Amino acid sequence: MTFADDLRRDALAIRKTFLGMHYRAKAGHIGTGLSAIDALAYLHKSWLTPEDAFILSKGHGASSLYATLHHFGVLSDEVLDTYYKDGTLLPAHPAAGAIAAIPAATGSLGHGLPIAAGMAYGRKYLEGSTARIAALLSDGECNEGSVWEAAAFAAHHRLSNLLVIVDANGLQGFGKTTDVLDMEPMADKWKSFGFDTREINGHDFDQLREACSELDATRPRCVIARTVKGNGVRFMEGKLEWHYLPMTEAQFNEALADLEGAP
Amino acid sequence: MRIEFVKAVHALMEKDPKSVFLTGDLGFNALEKVAEAFGPRFLNVGVAEQNMMGVAAGLAMTGARPWAYSIAPFATYRCLEQIRNDICLHDLPVRVVGNGGGYTYGIMGSTHHALEDLAVLKPLPNMSLFFPCSNNHVAAAVALMGELAGPSYLRLAISGFQSDTAPLSENPLTLTRRYAARSRKQGRGLTVVCAGHAAQIAVAALVLDPALDADVFGIARYPFDLASDAEVMASIADTRRVLFIEEHYASGGIGESFAAEVAGKVDAFARMNAVYRKDQRYGSAAFHLAQTGMTPATVLAAAREMLA
Repeated sequence: MTFADDLRRDALAIRKTFLGMHYRAKAGHIGTGLSAIDALAYLHKSWLTPEDAFILSKGHGASSLYATLHHFGVLSDEVLDTYYKDGTLLPAHPAAGAIAAIPAATGSLGHGLPIAAGMAYGRKYLEGSTARIAALLSDGECNEGSVWEAAAFAAHHRLSNLLVIVDANGLQGFGKTTDVLDMEPMADKWKSFGFDTREINGHDFDQLREACSELDATRPRCVIARTVKGNGVRFMEGKLEWHYLPMTEAQFNEALADLEGAP
Repeated sequence: MRIEFVKAVHALMEKDPKSVFLTGDLGFNALEKVAEAFGPRFLNVGVAEQNMMGVAAGLAMTGARPWAYSIAPFATYRCLEQIRNDICLHDLPVRVVGNGGGYTYGIMGSTHHALEDLAVLKPLPNMSLFFPCSNNHVAAAVALMGELAGPSYLRLAISGFQSDTAPLSENPLTLTRRYAARSRKQGRGLTVVCAGHAAQIAVAALVLDPALDADVFGIARYPFDLASDAEVMASIADTRRVLFIEEHYASGGIGESFAAEVAGKVDAFARMNAVYRKDQRYGSAAFHLAQTGMTPATVLAAAREMLA
C-alpha cells in the first residue's frame, strides 16, 4: 500500500467517526471538518513527533480533531462518546486544559497563530530545541488582523520550526471568501510576509507530504491547502449551509454511503 | 513607578531564567538595559498588542514566564480577548504590565487615559490585579507577581499629587498599607480606603489636616483577602463608614467590589472616582483630577462631611 493509500484509509475512518459524532450530537460545523480531515490525518500520522505541538487555530474544526485524535489512539471511545453532551470535555470548540493533546482553547478566530508563534519562539530561542509547531488556520480566519501580526512576527524572528497550514475551502461564515472579503492571492500574501509558501491540493496526501516536509532553515512555512468544504460527501461539497446544519438520519446514511463509494 | 518597575523586573529576570520580557514597542529611556542584558529573553514584538499577548501565552505554554509591557490602555483594551482566552482561560503565568494607569498620561488625551483597565480585567478567571500606591510600593508587587503561577496585571501610574510617603504598616501578602491611624479620642471616626495611586491624594489631604479623624489605607491587590487585612476590617468595625477613592471610573471599579465585601458592616459608603465628561478639557494628571473633583482639598471636604 502506498503512503497516500494508507492515509486515505485513515482519513476515511476519521470521516466516518466524525459523521457519526455529528449525527448523534445533531451538531453543525460538518463542512469545515470534512475539509480539514486530510490535513489533520497527515499531520497526526506522519508529521508530528512527541516533542512537537499542534494548534487548531480554526477552533470550529474541533470535532474533526477529536475524531483524528481518537483514530490515532489519543482519545478513548468513552471520552469520544461524550462529544457535545452535558459534562463533556469535548465541546464544539476546544476547551482550555481539557485534553493534553490540545494545548490551546480556540474558537475565536485569529488566536492560534500568535500562540503557535510564541511556542515556536520559546522552543527555538529559549530552549534551543528542535521541536516544531504546526498551526491549522481557516481561510476566513485570515480576515483577522491578529493573523497578520503573528505572520510578521514569525517571519521577522525566522521561526523555521513553524508550519502554518491554511485550510482554504473557499467558504466562510456568510458567503464565499472571494465575495465576503477577498484575501486572494492568498499565497502571495504569505510569501510577501516572508513565509516559505506552497500552494497545494489539500486532499492530495503526496502533495501534503511534499509541502510540509523539510522546513526551510531560516523561514516559517505556509502551505495553502486548497480544499473542498464538505469534502467526501457530495451533497455537502461546496455548500455554505453545511457550515451550520446537522444531518437527518437519511442524510447521515447517504453521507456514509457516499464516503464508502468515494475512490 | 516605571523606573522602580524596570529595576525590580531586571533583578527578578536575573534570578528567574524562565522569565521573558515582551514589550509592544515601548520603553524608550527605561528598558534599554533589560534589552541589552537578556538577549532572546527580551522581545520587542512591535506595535501589535494582540499578537504580544498570544505570543506571551504560547511562550508560557512552553514553560516560560513572560512579562508583557505596554502603556495601560494598549496593554488591556486592544488585546482583552487575548488576555481572556489565551492567558486567563489557560491560567498561564503571564504578567501584563500597563504603564500610565488613570490620568497619568493626561495631556496625551483620552485615548491614553486608563480609567477602565481594572474594570475590564477584574472579572477574568484566574486574574490577579496589582495597583501599587506609590513608587516605593512597586518592588513588592513585582516580587509577588513573580511568584504567582497564574496571570496578573500591574498598573503603574504617576499621580497628579505625587508623594512617596512610607506607610505606617504594610501587609506583605495583600500589600495593603496603612497611612494614618485616627486618634480614637473623638467620635467614631472614618475609614478612608484608596485603591492604588489615589492614595497619594489622600496622603496629601493628610498634610492639609494631620488631625483628621480617619484611618487611611491604600489597597493594592485584587481579589481582596480581607480576612488577612485585619487592620482595615478592625477600622471598619469601629467607624462603620468608608470613603473609597480611586483614579478609575466608578462602574466596574475596585470600589464597587470593596463596597460589596463590606456592605453588611457599614452604615455609609461614599466613593470618589474619575468621572467621564463630554465637555472635558485636557492637561496634566493634576488638572484632570481637579476637573473630575479628586484633589487633596475635595478629599478632605468629603471626609469632613462624613465625619460631621
